[in-house]
Amino acid sequence: MSSNALCFGHNHPASGAPCFVQVDAAGLTIIFESTGGGGDREVVPFAALSVSAGGLDHDHLVVKWTGVQGEQTLYLKDQDAIRAFRQTAPDDLSLHFAQAAELVRQVRQRRRLVWGLALGMFLSTVLGLWFGSDLLVQIAVSRIPVEWEQKLGESAYRDFLAQQEVIKEGPAVAALGEMTQRLTEQIPNNPYKFEITVVKSDVINAFALPGGHVVVFTGLMKKADSGEEVAGVMSHELNHVLRRHGLERIVKSLGLLTVVTIVLGDQQGLVGMMKQLSVELLTLKFGREQETEADVTGLQLLQRAKIDPSGMIKFFERLSEKDEGRMEWLSTHPMSTARAERLKAELAALPKKSPEPFTFDWKQVQASLGAQLVVAP
Amino acid sequence: MKSEILYPGAFPMVRVELTAGEHIKAESGAMVACSPTIDIESKMEGGFLGALSRKFLTGEKFFFQTLRASRGPGEALLAPTVPGEIVILELDGVNEYMVQKDGFLAGADGIVIESKMQSLSRGLLSGEGFFILKMSGKGTLVLNSFGAIHKIELKPDQEYIVDNSHLVAWSSTTSYNIEKATSGWIASVTSGEGFVCRFRGPGLVYIQSRNPGSFGAWIRQFIPVSE
Repeated sequence: MSSNALCFGHNHPASGAPCFVQVDAAGLTIIFESTGGGGDREVVPFAALSVSAGGLDHDHLVVKWTGVQGEQTLYLKDQDAIRAFRQTAPDDLSLHFAQAAELVRQVRQRRRLVWGLALGMFLSTVLGLWFGSDLLVQIAVSRIPVEWEQKLGESAYRDFLAQQEVIKEGPAVAALGEMTQRLTEQIPNNPYKFEITVVKSDVINAFALPGGHVVVFTGLMKKADSGEEVAGVMSHELNHVLRRHGLERIVKSLGLLTVVTIVLGDQQGLVGMMKQLSVELLTLKFGREQETEADVTGLQLLQRAKIDPSGMIKFFERLSEKDEGRMEWLSTHPMSTARAERLKAELAALPKKSPEPFTFDWKQVQASLGAQLVVAP
Repeated sequence: MKSEILYPGAFPMVRVELTAGEHIKAESGAMVACSPTIDIESKMEGGFLGALSRKFLTGEKFFFQTLRASRGPGEALLAPTVPGEIVILELDGVNEYMVQKDGFLAGADGIVIESKMQSLSRGLLSGEGFFILKMSGKGTLVLNSFGAIHKIELKPDQEYIVDNSHLVAWSSTTSYNIEKATSGWIASVTSGEGFVCRFRGPGLVYIQSRNPGSFGAWIRQFIPVSE
């Protein structure tokens, strides 16, 4: 017979005397094991008992009575004993039982509520920071004047040009000029003055700097099969500028504190910091979300400019195929079929417009670059 | 498991005698010396998740040591990390003790160790953290403290106030509330007590005569700060 309860009282040790509690119709029979042999046993009628909940978590049933040896308190935790007690106890005790059980329920409910609230507050703080920081970045970016952006892009542009051979005139420059012209005409309230630079290099790449400088490598133009394909890339890059993606990236990398400073109005200290960053602009990688945004808005821009948008998709698809050559555009613009698929879906949703062809002949433009035509299989 | 405290005082050790085949749990790293008949195993008490939760929630070690007298009877010497007294409790299957996270040194195999979540206010303010260890089952339980261990015996409904972070262990029949040490908030902080635990009997409360947190703060001023 193992103990299932602890009995406290003046005649027991402070840690409680382990005892076995038996419930029958007459009341409680408490058998103390410590006395050995005969075993001390005490029978207490229900009428003498009072019950409540107690213990650290209010999970003990506390039974009190005044016996021969003074006041006695019994702490019951054994579920079977509690159940037996509850079933056999007379009605006047049941009321106290219900009260005790109600108290336990309340305590547990309150605890759950407090934990739930604490967890909720924690989660909302985390979520707030997560989404709020993006919002803060946007607000900060919108407060930076375009002129700054242009200065920033300008210095990065000069750093870049120092090591490059630029093609200043010829059919290629004229062709890109025409594309830019047609695209920018469709941008309402354009605060940027786009300047296109053609750089002689076999690298298949193009990039945009904040403020409006767009650099296209001849490698990309040789790779493209038509003017529409290059126009697709151009449209994508222009939208990086229009959406101020470079600035967003910079502000993000400057950290939350700077963002708050910009939002609160102190933009002076930022100029110095941004100058340092201009070099980093050249190696800047946009985030996937920014790429998708530039893709989609680029596609819409092409559509408005009546340039066949399927050129953009075709070019992306071709780049995503395994290819030789130094595909730098790929390192910053990870190609995936998913990306092309997405654009296709986007295109399908747009109203059909009959495209107007360019005035130049693309093959001639490519020939002027001294292109050995790479025809995709 | 027969146990005996050697060198009682600030730097005690426990000598545990094991009969053949018997095994005990001990805090990982507690073993100082043992007979060659005893094998030391590491065991994740309560399974992987239990051990994980204990590690992250209570800060207790992930593994417990199991000392098993697999090749015949033997003895082992166990010691805690911090200077302080050791107390040996006998659990009879009905008694349950709540133990603060650093208090466990060793226990017979029949002792069941669980991590238990406290209520938010207790977790924040009791100085014991959100999770404490609950010891139940049957057998010998060895606890250690920082400083000397003092036992407070509480009669039913008797109350006693203990500075938080001096707690070592208390029986589950006692309950406690967190209170400000003085009636005012400012005085509570300036009195150096901050929050206290008001215990309510019946049961036992074991407290330690030194506060590890305060000791750490005190010793920090002597540690040279590297540039």
